[in-house]
Amino acid sequence: MSPALGEVRLRATHLHVQFGERKALQDISIEVRAGEFVALTGPNGSGKTTLLRAALGLIPVAGGLVEVGGRPTGELSARERARWLAWVPQEEIPRDNLPVRDYVLFGRYAHLPPFTAEGPHDRELAEAALTQVGLIDRADSGVLELSGGERQRVLLARALVQESPTLLLDEPTAHLDIGHELDLLGRVRKLVTERGGAVLAAMHDLNLAARFADRIVVLSRGRLVDDGAPRAVLSETLLREVWGVQAELREDPRTGHPYLLPVLPGELFPPRRRNERGPVHVVGGGGAGAPILRRLQAEGFRLTAGALHLLDTDAQTAEELGIVFVAEVPFAPLGERAREENRKLLERARAIVVAPFAVGPANLANLEALPAFAGHVPIYLVGGPPDADRDFTGGLARETWERLRAAGALPVATLEELVRTLAQPSALAA
Amino acid sequence: MLAGVGATGTLPHEGAGRPASPARRKYLAWAVGVGGILLVLLSPALGTVAIPTGTVFAILLHQLSGGFLFSDPCSGTGVSPRLCSAWVEIVWTSRLPAILLALTAGAALGMSGATLQGIFRNPLADPYLLGLSAGGTLGAAVLFVFQVGQSEANVALPAFAFLGSILTGLAILLAARVMGGSVESLLLTGVALMSLLSAILSILLLYNPVGSLQVDFWLLGGLGGATWDRVGIAFGGVLVAGVMLSLYRRELNLLQLGPEVAHSLGVEANRVRTRLLLFSSLATAMAVAFTGIIGFVGLVSPHIVRRLVGPDYRRVLPGSALVGGVFLLAANDLAIGAFPQTALPVGIFTAFVGAPFFLYLLYRRRHAPGGAPP
Repeated sequence: MSPALGEVRLRATHLHVQFGERKALQDISIEVRAGEFVALTGPNGSGKTTLLRAALGLIPVAGGLVEVGGRPTGELSARERARWLAWVPQEEIPRDNLPVRDYVLFGRYAHLPPFTAEGPHDRELAEAALTQVGLIDRADSGVLELSGGERQRVLLARALVQESPTLLLDEPTAHLDIGHELDLLGRVRKLVTERGGAVLAAMHDLNLAARFADRIVVLSRGRLVDDGAPRAVLSETLLREVWGVQAELREDPRTGHPYLLPVLPGELFPPRRRNERGPVHVVGGGGAGAPILRRLQAEGFRLTAGALHLLDTDAQTAEELGIVFVAEVPFAPLGERAREENRKLLERARAIVVAPFAVGPANLANLEALPAFAGHVPIYLVGGPPDADRDFTGGLARETWERLRAAGALPVATLEELVRTLAQPSALAA
Repeated sequence: MLAGVGATGTLPHEGAGRPASPARRKYLAWAVGVGGILLVLLSPALGTVAIPTGTVFAILLHQLSGGFLFSDPCSGTGVSPRLCSAWVEIVWTSRLPAILLALTAGAALGMSGATLQGIFRNPLADPYLLGLSAGGTLGAAVLFVFQVGQSEANVALPAFAFLGSILTGLAILLAARVMGGSVESLLLTGVALMSLLSAILSILLLYNPVGSLQVDFWLLGGLGGATWDRVGIAFGGVLVAGVMLSLYRRELNLLQLGPEVAHSLGVEANRVRTRLLLFSSLATAMAVAFTGIIGFVGLVSPHIVRRLVGPDYRRVLPGSALVGGVFLLAANDLAIGAFPQTALPVGIFTAFVGAPFFLYLLYRRRHAPGGAPP
């Protein structure tokens, strides 16, 4: 994202940190350069915060070196270090209701000569920082009167007036809602891109990390596991091995950023008995068919569907599940081609499942195509007959449904009953 | 490196959640200020010997002007010149030094309390409750026991008291670092230290019964022994401590964000805290050396001040000095006014106000809207 990288601002070399017997960090070497946003990720307890705290000199280092601006941090006084490194802690609950302005001015401390008050220049910087984080209107409010999101932005403003070339953020958005989270990270990103700041941010959300960071560093149990561009680092394997999470790696079609879609055990992709029986053709629309498609696919049926309007929930579900379906443009009545293709799928089907979908003039043809197959292929009607709340054809849908019923189609009350029925060997045509 | 002194203290200060309106604060601050001035003006009229109020002021102006004004301060009272000169003696060498000592010691305790509350981020900290006063007492008692002469005592007493209280303070700081800085563990450390110190004191007194009577009265705390010399020494010491503490008022503000945040902003937290402790021990020692143990002034004053001027240490420090001085003087006036014949030690009265206030703070902490840590 930023091709011209500046000089190294923060460097850890073979860093070891130990808490008693526990090795909190082992042999960590990373660099953060000017104009670079580095996301520090890893499961809870992997050492993200410890690394930041070691860089800040808040905890002793058992081995290795942390350098800021080319000098080992051990040689720097707190004041000097504060001019090199600013820190936005994960959460800071103020004890006193100081004015926001004063709270931000605390960031100037390292620049003031000893025992000296802030001057007009410091006040200007504080105002500029408050403007930058969008809080200038609250400058004279008490910090305890702010919301969590505003308070976090105050901390960012305080770090900004510190004028440190390097910014360390410890899960700065952990307590923010998604709106404030994006807002804060956007501001940090801007700082990096426009002002050449160097940022090292501990982050939980890998997708946000991939979105905002130039590089992702992955820690696991105190060790560095990976370090590179988001595209190079993010992978299904990484998520499984480091976080123990099943996920699917995708790419945001609009931005090209990689993102991970996590899956809970057994939620999606269940152990498939792949496409053993079928094909079963599902007639649906408007989302009524989606649960049937998902469940029957999970049960191992080979499925087809149609005809469905594009952008319809059922159409999207079929697409996601990789099910062959007949498509029609949105909102238009089913055209001749769609009907013909649908008929072909119906001819190949070993069973037809009719979802309790809302029937209107645009998709009535789906229902009307069915009586011709009654008696040749088992037809299952899920849910009751189309009553007024899902029959928008002036009774035609209901009539067709009754006709199917009379011709031997089998009504099943629920999805469960459908699954039980289809499980019997005779449920599908030979 | 920075083991969490006060790290668990996400405890809001008095009134933190609901700040008084600026206008109300202003009125209150004025009321306290005017009340304080009136109190100082009226205090010389109070005492075990009945002297007409007008005469008291005449004596004061006579003395302050070097005999220029009110050449006969007792005119109109019809008292003999001998009694008049006794009155002058009482007002000028006993009452006025006592008032000034009350103001000085109160200011010292108020500042010290405010600073300790800031160092430990603990609204229940106080030189008395943390054992700093007891440490000072033990240091001073060493002198009593070995019967140092009166003139040396004026200098040696505060010096030894300082030694005692700074050592206690360092022990507390060390304990807070080792044990983590929860509000309760700090107070319990203070209690333990106090018991230890008073045990050592008892041993000293057991082997030196002569000093014990002196120490006993002194332990209760009182302004009875005030002299101009002592006022001068105490004032000098407190002034030094006050100036040094106020130099660190910004650092005190930053320390309220927690030692780690303060450090990340450029404050050498440990060094600053040790220095602050040093100077609040000095202030405490000045008070203890000449007035004995007077509890709770350091606890109550900063809380009153925060109500009046908000939490900023740039105002809390001088405010606590003023309120502490006035508070101690008021307690002393009450002691004289309520029991004019007995001259009850002032420490009893500050305890009557301070101990319930302490319990109130403890209660509030448990029942604060945010809830106290379990």
